[in-house]
Amino acid sequence: MKLRFSRKTLCIPYAVFLLFFVIVPMAVILVYAFTDRNMHFSFGNFIKFFSDPTKLSTIVYSIVIALITTVVCLLIAYPVAYILARSKMKKKHVILMLFVVPMWINFVLRVNAIRELFNWIGLLGQANYFNTVFGMVYDFLPFMILPLYTTLMKIDPSLYEASYDLGGNGFTAFTRVTLPLSVPGIVSGVTMVFLPSMTNYVVSDMLGNSMVTIIGKFIYEYFGSDWHMGSMVALVLLVVVFVSTLLTGGFKSEENVRGANL
Amino acid sequence: MKKRIFGILAAAIMLLPTLALLGGCGGKQADVILKVYSWAEYIDEGGEGSYLYDTLAEEKGEGAVSASDAPPILDDFEKWYEETYHESIRVDYATFGTNEDMYNEIVLGNEYDLLCPSDYMIMKLAAEDRIVPYDASFFDSADPNNYYVRNVSPYIRDVFENGTVTVTQDGEQAAHKWSEYAAGYMWGTTGFVYNPEHVERDDLEALGWQTFVSDKYTNKITAKDNVRDTYFAALGLTYEQELLALDKSGDGYNQALTDIFNRTAEQYTDAVGDTLLDMKKNIYGFETDTGKADMVSGKIWLNYAWSGDAVYALDEAEEDDLYLEYFVPEAGSNLWFDGWVLTKGVEERGTKKAAQAFVNYMSMPESAKRNSYYIGYTSVIAGENTTDENGEAYNEMLDYADWLYGYEFDPETEDEPAETVDYDLTYFFLGADAEEGQTVITAEKDSAEKRQLFAQFPPEDVIARCAVMNYFDADTSERINELWSHVKAETLDTWAIVVLCVAAVAIVAFVLLVKFGNKIDLFRPKPKKGYELVEQEAPKNDYEPVNKEKSKE
Repeated sequence: MKLRFSRKTLCIPYAVFLLFFVIVPMAVILVYAFTDRNMHFSFGNFIKFFSDPTKLSTIVYSIVIALITTVVCLLIAYPVAYILARSKMKKKHVILMLFVVPMWINFVLRVNAIRELFNWIGLLGQANYFNTVFGMVYDFLPFMILPLYTTLMKIDPSLYEASYDLGGNGFTAFTRVTLPLSVPGIVSGVTMVFLPSMTNYVVSDMLGNSMVTIIGKFIYEYFGSDWHMGSMVALVLLVVVFVSTLLTGGFKSEENVRGANL
Repeated sequence: MKKRIFGILAAAIMLLPTLALLGGCGGKQADVILKVYSWAEYIDEGGEGSYLYDTLAEEKGEGAVSASDAPPILDDFEKWYEETYHESIRVDYATFGTNEDMYNEIVLGNEYDLLCPSDYMIMKLAAEDRIVPYDASFFDSADPNNYYVRNVSPYIRDVFENGTVTVTQDGEQAAHKWSEYAAGYMWGTTGFVYNPEHVERDDLEALGWQTFVSDKYTNKITAKDNVRDTYFAALGLTYEQELLALDKSGDGYNQALTDIFNRTAEQYTDAVGDTLLDMKKNIYGFETDTGKADMVSGKIWLNYAWSGDAVYALDEAEEDDLYLEYFVPEAGSNLWFDGWVLTKGVEERGTKKAAQAFVNYMSMPESAKRNSYYIGYTSVIAGENTTDENGEAYNEMLDYADWLYGYEFDPETEDEPAETVDYDLTYFFLGADAEEGQTVITAEKDSAEKRQLFAQFPPEDVIARCAVMNYFDADTSERINELWSHVKAETLDTWAIVVLCVAAVAIVAFVLLVKFGNKIDLFRPKPKKGYELVEQEAPKNDYEPVNKEKSKE
C-alpha cells in the first residue's frame, strides 16, 4: 500500500493531543466536580461552593488582584511599547530585550529575589496584598509589553500623517488612530496577564507569606484532600475565565469595527 | 470501582510524558526492581556533607577525600543485597513533598512497593486496606540480617507495639498493632525554633503556646502552611490551661493529653477555629519551607518547626555565627513518626522480600547514622547493646550520639572547661523501664537543654508530654479542611458578595448586550441622525432585518 500524507493525516497528532490533554482532562474535572466521595452524581459540591461566603470571597479577591495587576501592567506597558514603537532609535530592540530578559531567568528565583528586596525595604509581612500585586506585575509585565509592541509596530505611519493632514493634533492622532488600532494588542496582553494572575499562587505564597489566598491556592489545597471540591473550584474558575475571555473578545470585535470605519 | 477507572485515566494522562521518558532511558537490568517512594531529601545521598565524607575527612584531612568515596546509600544497598541474597536488584527511588501527594499517587494506582508516610497517613492507608503486614520472619531476631528488629530503639518498639491501627479487610474492621504494618524510620517532636537575641527563654516558657498570639512577637513568628500541624498548635493554644492542669505523675497523663490533642469533634472545632483566626492576625505568615531560611536571615524570631528541621536550622545558623535554640511547650506537643509500609500487592509482585531487606538495610546502625547525619532527623535505630574488647558496654548509636554532641575539654582551643550536664537517654537506648542513668552523654549545658542534642534526642520528660495526632476520617477531614480554608482565605460580608455578584452579572449582561444586542430586535441601536432616513421613517412593525439570508431570497 502506498503511504500517503494528506493534510488530514498530518492533523492526527494534534487531534490526539487535543483529545488526551484538553478534552479528556476537562471531562475528568467535570465528572469529579459533580460527584461525591463514592462517585455518585451529586450537586453537593456546587451547592457548597455557592453557599460558602469564603469561597465566593476568594473568587472576588482573585479577580480584584488580577484586575489591579492587569491595569497596572497596562499603564506601565503601553507607554513603553508606544515610545519604543514610535522612536527612531537604532538600538531600541536592546531596550525591548532588557524588558524581556527577566523572563529568561527562572521565575522562582526572581520571586525570591523580590522577597529579599521587600524584606530589605521592610515591606515583607507588612503589606501582603501590595507585595502580591507587585510581584505579579513584575512577573507578567513582559507578557503585556510584547503584544503591545508588535501591534503598535504594525500601524502604518502614513495613518498618522493622514490624521495630521485632516487637522488632528498629537492627542487626537493617539485617541483616534493609535489606540483603536492597538486594541488587538491590548486584548491579547490583558488575556495573558489577567488569567495567570488569578491562579499564580507561588507569588502570593512567597511575597504574601501565604497570608493571601487566591483561587489557585484553593485548588491546590483541595487536591490534597478532596478532589471533588477541588474540581468544582477548578470548574468555577474555568467559567470565570471563559466569561472574561468572552468579555474582552466582545470589546475586541466592537473596537475593530470602529477601527475599520475610521 | 468507578473511582478507580477515572483515577487510572487521570493518572495515565498525567503520566504519559513521564512514561515516554522512562521508556527512553531505562535503567540497569536486574532480577528484582524495588520501587521505593519516600520524602524528598530524606535519605543519604552521598558526596560532600554526608557522614562517610565527613568522617573520612576527619580521618585523612579534607583534601584526601573525594565525593566518590562517599557513595549514595542506595548504591551500597544494591551491592549489599546482591552479596547477601545473590540476586541483582535495582531500586527505583521516587520522592514526594507531602503525605497527601503520596496518597494521591497511591490512590491513582501507582504501584510502589515500599512507602515512607507519617504516622497518621499510615493509619489512613491501613484503614483503607492499602498496605499489608510484614512477614513473621521479619521479626525473627535470630536472623542476622534482620537489622530492624535487632536495632530498633526499645522505646520506639513499645510505641509501635502499643499503638493500634484499625485495618479494614474484606469489609471488616479489626484493630492491629502498628508494628505489624509499619517499621519506623525517623521520629521527633514539634516545637519552636527561636532566636535568643530577641526572645527570652523564660518568657517563652511562661507563654507556652500563647507565643502564637503574644503581641511581643507580632509579625515575628510563623506557623506551618498545612492544616494538621497548625490545627495541632491551635489545640495546644486553646486548651493550654486544661493541658497544664493535667496530673503529670498520673498513669493516664499521656492518654489524657493525647485525647486533648485529638479534639476534632464538632463541639471543639469552633473554638479552635477562633484560635486559628487569632493566630493568623498575629503571625508573620504560614510557611512550608521558608521558615528555616527566614530564621537565619533574621526576618523572624520564632518558627514553629519539626525537630529535624530545627536541627538543620540550628546547624545552618551556626555557620553564620547565629546560635538559635529549640523549645517544646510545657503543656505538650506533637510526637510524630515516619515509617516504612508495604503496599498491597507487594507479594504478587514478588518484591516483599526485597522491600523488607531494604528496611533492614536502612536499620543497620551504619545506615541509620548515614541517613540521620545527612538529613538532621532522628533515626528510630538505637543499635545493639554489646560489649567492646575491654568488656565495657558499647552501643554504636550511642557512640555516634556522643561523637556528635559529647563534650570533651580541649585545652588547645579553650581556656576553661565549658559547663556540662549528664544527658540521660536510657529510655531511648534501653527502654522506658530500664533503670535511669545507664546511657548518659556528657554534653555542653546549652546543647543538652536547648540546642541540637535537645532537639535531636528529646529527653524523657519531653516525650512524656508529647502526643501522636490521629488521622482525620473522611468527614472530619472535610470539616477541618473547610475550617482551614476559612482561616486561610478572607471572607467578605454577605452584602458585599451580593453587591459584587449583581455588579458582575450586570457587567456581563451589558457587554453581551453591546456585542449581541443588535441581533435582538428590542435592543437594536437607533440609526444615527442624518443616516438611513428611509428606515427611520418606516413604521416600526414593518421593519425587516436585512441579513444575508434574506437578501439571498
